[in-house]
Amino acid sequence: MINDTFLVSITTFVYFFSAFVFLISYIFKKKSAEKIALVSTVAGMAIHTAALICRWIHSYQMGIGHAPLSNFYESMVFFSWSLVFIYLVTRKQDTNNLGGILATFFSFLILAYTTLSPNVDCQIQPLIPALQSNWLTSHVITCFFAYACFAIAFGLSILYLLKRTKSKKGIIALLPDAAVLDEATYNMISLGFVLLTLGIITGAAWAENAWGRYWGWDPKETWSLITWLIYGAFLHARITKGWKGIRMSLVSILGFTAVIFTYLGVNYILSGLHSYL
Amino acid sequence: MYKKLYNLFSSTRLTIFLFFAIAATSILGTLIQQGLPIERYEQIYSQRVFSVMGFFDIFDMYHSWWFTLLLVLLSINIIACTLRQIPRIIRLTSSGKNPTDDEIFAASRTIKTWHSNRDIEALELQATKILTSLAKTPVHTKKDNTEYFFAEKGKTSRWGMILVHVSVLFILAGGMIGMIWGYSGQIILVEGESADTFSLFSGKGTKELGFDIICNHFSVDFYKTGMPKRYKTDLTIVDQGKEVMTGAITVNHPLHYKGLKFCQATYGIADTSSFQVAAENTVTGEKTVLTLDKMKKKPLPNSEIYFAVAKLLPDYKGRGPGVLGVLIEPDKAHDIFWIFKDKQTQRGAFAFRLKDYDKAYYTGIQVSKNPGTPFVRAGFIFMITGFILSLFFTHTRIWLRIRDTQKGHEISVVANASKNQKAFKEKIQGLAGRFQGDEF
Repeated sequence: MINDTFLVSITTFVYFFSAFVFLISYIFKKKSAEKIALVSTVAGMAIHTAALICRWIHSYQMGIGHAPLSNFYESMVFFSWSLVFIYLVTRKQDTNNLGGILATFFSFLILAYTTLSPNVDCQIQPLIPALQSNWLTSHVITCFFAYACFAIAFGLSILYLLKRTKSKKGIIALLPDAAVLDEATYNMISLGFVLLTLGIITGAAWAENAWGRYWGWDPKETWSLITWLIYGAFLHARITKGWKGIRMSLVSILGFTAVIFTYLGVNYILSGLHSYL
Repeated sequence: MYKKLYNLFSSTRLTIFLFFAIAATSILGTLIQQGLPIERYEQIYSQRVFSVMGFFDIFDMYHSWWFTLLLVLLSINIIACTLRQIPRIIRLTSSGKNPTDDEIFAASRTIKTWHSNRDIEALELQATKILTSLAKTPVHTKKDNTEYFFAEKGKTSRWGMILVHVSVLFILAGGMIGMIWGYSGQIILVEGESADTFSLFSGKGTKELGFDIICNHFSVDFYKTGMPKRYKTDLTIVDQGKEVMTGAITVNHPLHYKGLKFCQATYGIADTSSFQVAAENTVTGEKTVLTLDKMKKKPLPNSEIYFAVAKLLPDYKGRGPGVLGVLIEPDKAHDIFWIFKDKQTQRGAFAFRLKDYDKAYYTGIQVSKNPGTPFVRAGFIFMITGFILSLFFTHTRIWLRIRDTQKGHEISVVANASKNQKAFKEKIQGLAGRFQGDEF
């Protein structure tokens, strides 16, 4: 059986290459480079998917079979998978390849940290009783797809701020119109919001079975609600008030800070029931 | 006055404010641990801070009066906004009721008009065909030599967002109902024991179950790595002298009876366990086997020393079971040490080995009743349905009018879509071409 962590290492390099070529295609407006970047992203995705499947099969061979979504290492690998996946399915809306650059670059960063950091244990571990549930897959998938959308929206908001505040020289001049960035951010946040809603609902349904209550104001639950409220406020301001501009990109950045805190901060800073990420 | 209040409560500004207010205050409860015994907080904080925090119920802030008030305000806000939206949606979804309305054509800014010299039957046929392909079979009305066609699809999608907002109300209502009429607590049962009451969490005393619950057996399985694999309690429920239910609960698989839910919550080793420890006097070579109950001392043969077992670990650091032994000698401090099955532990003149033990587990079962759950579940289903309706369906409306003018038949089209208007407009722009084309 092929070692899944080896496949993940290859994927890391492929995503780096993709991000680099996307950037070149973006700066020099080369269609051919864009094609290469896209092919390389799809290839990276294929290897990445193979890594997930290998790990899944491997866990069954060890007699502790479960989807590879159960600890920090697996969640990081799946998070980066989600980023590229969300980019590929929403590609039609991504006219400027910015989503491509952001998704592959973020994926590369996450995978590089995951594979290089000595703090990340890549062993396949058996599932503790609380995680042995059919809700595991649907809960984790919806949450990480949502995180991926918010991460891309975060990147777009940063670019938006650069476009609006920095002088229009050099690489910033190449960025698309602020309005285009704003629209793309909004689209990503809408999708992410619906996915996060599903993530919270599946989580609540699971908690009802495992802990006897669907909501208990556990720090993880509370922070997911905080994230939901921030993006909910964003969407209400945008849809009914038509608010746009710098303050909305700041809300998007604030929202992503809450995402990071929900994902990591809660586990490393606060204590609670949800100690396995 | 009434109008002003209605405007305030139906404003999105209030929604955004409440969202941020709830989010910001929620952070507090994740930084300050909730629901500890009140004495603990008194130790942590100074008297002044403690009394302020006490007033704002910071120690149980998610159930405090002000947090509940925020949620109630949010509910009122949602109700007012929904009521405000409903007339608009009714208007948008009832446009088919008045098919000969020329005002639609007069008022629309996105009207498309062209002329054709084809005979009217052919145009009628073509209009029907195209509207059918864009939406549904159109309603065809004739009035004063003018022909009106109207077709629409995806009307329900307009109600999707209303459903999402109503679902939040259901979830909030379910939460309130659970907070007021729900309760939860715990039963600790040793294997073989039964209980007809349980102790409520947050120290509010005990509550009658109304039936008996018996723990037949508890087991815990481990993986090879020593990680727990499964906790399982076998239960029997006896109601009015009759065995009504026998089953097992494990984590993620609760049992339900008479509106109560029983979840596997915790476990431990009961004090009723008994142990057999082999003690050998290495000076005299005398061997004895002591049978001990937990925490009950017994004298070692021919000595003044007493021995007791204080604790059992089913698996001591991967070495198998270990018990914590205590030697009690007059005028000496207690000597505490681990005893295992595989090797003797030497203490003074004696060598100890764990021969066998008969351990009894206790299981901790969480009991809960939450009459709000059906509302919350309905809310979840409504929310998902609402999102599906408004995301995957589009309300499309097309009005088409053919009337005679001096230049021939004048064809006018007005179209409207609730989503993706840009793509839809492009589609409509192509209509004239399809009319002039020869596809019949």
